[in-house]
Amino acid sequence: MNRFFCIALVICSFVSTTPALAHTPIMGIGGVFGGIIHALLIPEHGLTLLALGLVLGRRQQETRRSGLLVFAAALTCGLVAAALTGEETLAGDILLLVAGTLGLLIAADWAPPRLALALAALAGVTFALDSKPDGISTAESARMLIGSGLGAVIALAVVAEVSVFFRGYALFIAARVAGSWIAAIGIMVLSLRIATRMTLG
Amino acid sequence: MRFRTTLAPLRAAMRLLSPLALAAITTPAFAHSENGVAIDFWGGFTHPIFGPDHVIAMVAVGLWGAFLGAPAIWLLPVVFPLVMAVGGAAGVVGVPLPGVETGIAVSAIMLGGMVAFAARPPLWIAAVLVGAFAIFHGHAHGAELPIGADAVAFSMGFVVATGMLHLAGIAFGGLSHWPAGRVAVRGAGGVISLLGLAYLGKFL
Repeated sequence: MNRFFCIALVICSFVSTTPALAHTPIMGIGGVFGGIIHALLIPEHGLTLLALGLVLGRRQQETRRSGLLVFAAALTCGLVAAALTGEETLAGDILLLVAGTLGLLIAADWAPPRLALALAALAGVTFALDSKPDGISTAESARMLIGSGLGAVIALAVVAEVSVFFRGYALFIAARVAGSWIAAIGIMVLSLRIATRMTLG
Repeated sequence: MRFRTTLAPLRAAMRLLSPLALAAITTPAFAHSENGVAIDFWGGFTHPIFGPDHVIAMVAVGLWGAFLGAPAIWLLPVVFPLVMAVGGAAGVVGVPLPGVETGIAVSAIMLGGMVAFAARPPLWIAAVLVGAFAIFHGHAHGAELPIGADAVAFSMGFVVATGMLHLAGIAFGGLSHWPAGRVAVRGAGGVISLLGLAYLGKFL
């Protein structure tokens, strides 16, 4: 019965989801809290945090904590860069590439510590550069960037620490399946963006 | 014992309420709308579900995985979306792939047939077979994705739905632990194979 209820609950959760529109402003929510929401509700941001958290969660405590620190440091550098520059970048595409790579690593259950740390750094920088909100004042933009950084670090820490408990066989398989899904999403979306650029310029 | 007695009404209520909850949140099913594809999670989620030829093949992947047991039960559903995404990328950027619809129909025939005849090839052969067919499914879906859309949510829905179809196959394939269930699973494989034949006849 419990299992049946859990399955029904999961299906209900999936079915009741609403469209996740990238960079959609949430009316009435701004500042630091708006930044946190902004960081977590953008699909590629959420995907990257989930993938990186799963990769770090499978590492030893020392590597896991190092990964979190590297991500936080790279994120901070990226946020400063994002606050100082207003240029369009390919950060979103690189972030998706990082998410896809992390997904592949999870699916293959193979992630050397140095590679994981390098991807954490790349994810941190690109996450920050892709978080700059458009069309608002400098002060408000800075507040939202701080919120984005806080939200990202907290979310990553939670996912990484929770996935430490994904040690059982079923959860281990669930993580690998999730990794394959993340990689598949990354590949498909990147290809669509490339095709869009080739077609529309 | 007393604990069980206390929980009994709750269990009965849950048994009644869970299907009701599922039924209550249903929305109209618009199969492959001619007016365009909705670029959101729901649009992606429904895209593979409303293509019956895709559905039977993906369920067959789960069925076969469950039939083969570990590690095929999780390896095949891991291989399929990865290779499908590569096929989808090829479809999106316009790489031609001849006989896509035929390939999809053949995938249902072959995968259903594998279950029906209780085929147990080496794991790598099963993975290569599933991966090869996944290219056709991915290409068909990728070619239908509208250019100009930022389709992260759409792709998420699409991949999750594919995984759910595998899961449905695995759940049903779990019956193969029992003799009668084994017959039912092999029968389902046979039905999938016949449906694939019907689709193939339509395309030829």
